[in-house]
Amino acid sequence: MTDTSLAPTAASITPTVVSNSVSQRVSRVLLGVALLVLLFYFVVYVAYAANLMRFPFDYDQGEGFELVDTILFSRGEWPYRNTELFPFYSSNYPPLFHVLAAPLVWLFGPAYWYGRLLGFLGTLVTAGAIAYAVYRDGVRRRGNGHLLIAALSGLAYLASNTVYHIGPLFRQHASMVMFETLAVVVLAYANEIEDTRQRRRTLAIGLLLVIAAGYTKQLAAVTALAVGIFLFIRQPWRAVVWGLGAAVVGGAIFVWMTWATDGEWWRQAILANVNDLNVQQSVGLFRLWFSLHGWLIVPAALLVIYELYFDRLSLYAIWFVLAAGITGMASGTWGGGDSYFASAIAAACILSGIFAARTLAADWPFPDNYLSRLFVKPLRRYAPALSRAALLIVPLLYLGYGRAVLHLPTQEPVFREIAALLNVRPNALNAFYDSARTADGQFATGYADIGHFTTPADINAGWQLVNIIQQAEGHALSEEAGFSLAAGREVITNPTQLLNLDKRGLYDGSALIQMIENREFSLIIFRAQFYPPRILRAVGDHYEHYESVAMNGFEYRLLRPKP
Amino acid sequence: MLDTTFTLTKRQLGLILLVGGLAGFTGILAIDILDVGREGGIGPAQQIALGLCAVAALLGLSLIPLGNRPA
Repeated sequence: MTDTSLAPTAASITPTVVSNSVSQRVSRVLLGVALLVLLFYFVVYVAYAANLMRFPFDYDQGEGFELVDTILFSRGEWPYRNTELFPFYSSNYPPLFHVLAAPLVWLFGPAYWYGRLLGFLGTLVTAGAIAYAVYRDGVRRRGNGHLLIAALSGLAYLASNTVYHIGPLFRQHASMVMFETLAVVVLAYANEIEDTRQRRRTLAIGLLLVIAAGYTKQLAAVTALAVGIFLFIRQPWRAVVWGLGAAVVGGAIFVWMTWATDGEWWRQAILANVNDLNVQQSVGLFRLWFSLHGWLIVPAALLVIYELYFDRLSLYAIWFVLAAGITGMASGTWGGGDSYFASAIAAACILSGIFAARTLAADWPFPDNYLSRLFVKPLRRYAPALSRAALLIVPLLYLGYGRAVLHLPTQEPVFREIAALLNVRPNALNAFYDSARTADGQFATGYADIGHFTTPADINAGWQLVNIIQQAEGHALSEEAGFSLAAGREVITNPTQLLNLDKRGLYDGSALIQMIENREFSLIIFRAQFYPPRILRAVGDHYEHYESVAMNGFEYRLLRPKP
Repeated sequence: MLDTTFTLTKRQLGLILLVGGLAGFTGILAIDILDVGREGGIGPAQQIALGLCAVAALLGLSLIPLGNRPA
């Protein structure tokens, strides 16, 4: 079998000429500039994370309920509960993220900062795993990895608009992607390990990480599928044996949780999480994903095609295709959004990094087949020119990506001067600029309306709401948990979960409606009104709006019983 | 397949994708044929699924000539 390579041959171009070429020097300079650009986004990310950690209330819708789940676990209680009984509360997320954060409740009491710190650290671990995967590919293929491309790949993950705005939240999504990425990186070469004990240990660790991802968020099922397909392609019998083992472990935890919660884990976290798909939202988010990350998606897709026809399919490629295809499509479900692309972004960062490093090393062997005869052989005489062009194209990919994901605050010290230099005008709340939005602030349906920095005025408004709850006699029904927690009041209901259950026909609500009709709540605070319609109707019949408080870009509507 | 050195070839993967794609395509169309009381015709999600099945079948077809190279 003969190999056709696009790499320049010794006869066509000598290594000495290449190393001294202008192209290489320009390439290095451009790569350095790309590194500076992505490091700038890292600084923006750290500043944003620090800002959010100082903000003591809900920033993203639902963060407070994640904190409530964490508090319940810290007390040794399950958050999967019967929502027909007072206080009508249940969680719809798996437990691992909250269990990991629970010891911090013991140490620091209820607070948002440590959950946000965990999410932030999770993204750093993911970025590190991406960089390691890219570097390791070079070591395995050529004996040396490309450190700069590896660093750019990890930083590219953190520079993504999507990763930026969900990373430092008290939400479990970033941690799920961390476990997924670690699992994929651990398992990518597991089959090639010749030492039996080491291979088994690697497979066990990798599959435990997949289970950890699944028990952080249900969406990781797609990564489990990718891992299963990869292992099956590489060695079907091993895939069946280890797949059964992982299913037994994961299934046993599942059955235990269902039994221990009297079936509420199954009802609240699984049945209530099957939501309707809005295809238009998915399509809009796919377009946005490509417009922001196309500079990474195109090389990633090229590497997938290369592996499909000229090499072995890697776990990274299968993960990328499934995460983009299935999870991306699921972004259009109720409760979904651009965060659903985070796994595909991590996979794209790995694949594009490997593509870039191999291109710089002219490491593209093409085995002889009908496709290489058709498409590669005719290009062979252009190989030296293509190699020189590639030296410039690779850094331009990262520079193009850096331009596409532009986001920064425009009124904070230092950032203000940079924004003025770039002639960037804010298009989001609190003078933030986000390239995912149009100049007048419009954005695709499902794209999270966050990313801006909070202000002292937001914090003051939050404390104002806390004071109002403290002064209320009797129960207060707040759509966000943070105010009730800060006021020392009981958290009543998780509205979005009631809505999830209601959409699946799993919610009655008569006990809560009775309390509303009896006007047992002296205060109701609405934000997005994500309650089942009949709850909203009951509130409308028995309560009246008397004041609004603006905080973090939202209007918090205060309602009291009608006279 | 029980051999620990067995690995799927490009041809085998191609056949799996071809058969799976064709079966999926037929199955999705069959929903409308068998479930005659169903209204609305082929919806957007079905159209996307049909497209993906067709792509899988074509990909499979293009892999079959690659023979016994490991997938």
